[in-house]
Amino acid sequence: MNPQLQGAEAIAGTYPFDLRVSNRALRLNRFFWNMIQAPSRDAFHRDPEQAMAQAGLSEEEKALVRTEDWIGLVRYGGNFFVMEKFARVVKKTNLEVYAMMRGESFEDFMKTRKVPDAR
Amino acid sequence: MAKIIGGIGTSHVPTIGVAYDKGKQNDPAWAPLFKGYEPVAQWLKEKEADVLVFFYNDHATTFFFDVYPTFALGVGASFPIADEGAGLRNLPPIRGNLDLQIHVAESLVNDEFDLTVFQEKPIDHGCASPLPLLWPHEPDWPGTVVPIAINVLQFPLPTGRRCYKLGQAVRRAIESYPEDLRVVVVGTGGLSHQVHGERTGFNNTDWDYEFLNLLEHDPEALLALRHADYIERGGAESVEQIMWLAMRGALDGPIERTHLNYYLATTTAMTVALFEPREAVETHTAKQEASAS
Repeated sequence: MNPQLQGAEAIAGTYPFDLRVSNRALRLNRFFWNMIQAPSRDAFHRDPEQAMAQAGLSEEEKALVRTEDWIGLVRYGGNFFVMEKFARVVKKTNLEVYAMMRGESFEDFMKTRKVPDAR
Repeated sequence: MAKIIGGIGTSHVPTIGVAYDKGKQNDPAWAPLFKGYEPVAQWLKEKEADVLVFFYNDHATTFFFDVYPTFALGVGASFPIADEGAGLRNLPPIRGNLDLQIHVAESLVNDEFDLTVFQEKPIDHGCASPLPLLWPHEPDWPGTVVPIAINVLQFPLPTGRRCYKLGQAVRRAIESYPEDLRVVVVGTGGLSHQVHGERTGFNNTDWDYEFLNLLEHDPEALLALRHADYIERGGAESVEQIMWLAMRGALDGPIERTHLNYYLATTTAMTVALFEPREAVETHTAKQEASAS
């Protein structure tokens, strides 16, 4: 255990992205990272199943991507900062992804914010 | 000789870039943020800053986790602003001063900071989100950037103390550069926020203000904190505030916070703070008093 991170594992709803996680989920995160390239975005829009197969995703990973299960992706080892690139591709804002990770509707989530109009 | 004339701490929330591009500067929900940057932009203009040294983080855009550098310095006359999945932004490429960047690389490595050097790579919102709020960009940026990327994404991250020491080494690098350049160091990120997991949306304003005060008066207290302490107090992604420690290390000595804007609208405590060497503030105040009497 990295002593700098000791204690973080006990914080509910938090998933530190360390090398163990990164190594396990490298293929999934690379699939998301590729979305910074327009040709990768086009390929995904054209045929999502083929794009996922070409990226070598497992059935479990494909199911998480297919259902846009953001919290499932985080629990699996998805890194938010590449996930947000994929969110742009499927036309979700970060605020919408935040609400889904919390298991709330978008409007309910925004009501918990200090300035709900800052979108 | 080049000289560090001050430091800026700033959030780098991507939404700032989106709001900027959509022209929301006067939107009631966004104006408190944009207005808060104006005194800092004015200060940069008055002081005629030539260079901004940016301690920022790449959000797995320039680099992927297959090769993810702990510290990386950009060398090049120009860096395009990255497409992060939503297409390109209407901003000119970031300008670089090749001689200065190479000098900083040589000085840091000879000073035992063996960092990675990157060239001809795009730079993402870690630097590009706050930059247009600090400097105008029409027709082009008024100065150059020394981009220094710090890993705050994939643990193990450098410790807070290591980032502070990097800042001190950058100061030595700048002060050994022969040309008379006016340099401002910028630390980006934070303040409190968490953007992954069910704890998304966590903030801690009391801690944010404590952090700001400790940064100014007692940085040693912050250097003793572990990454898990930042995660607990300010939310997981607030650990990126270790980049403010690099900025603080480059300022060394006593400083004074001469501007602060803190705006927590949705999920991130969006903050901009200006720090100047105390000596410079005292000289400025003495001059003002002399001209008033």
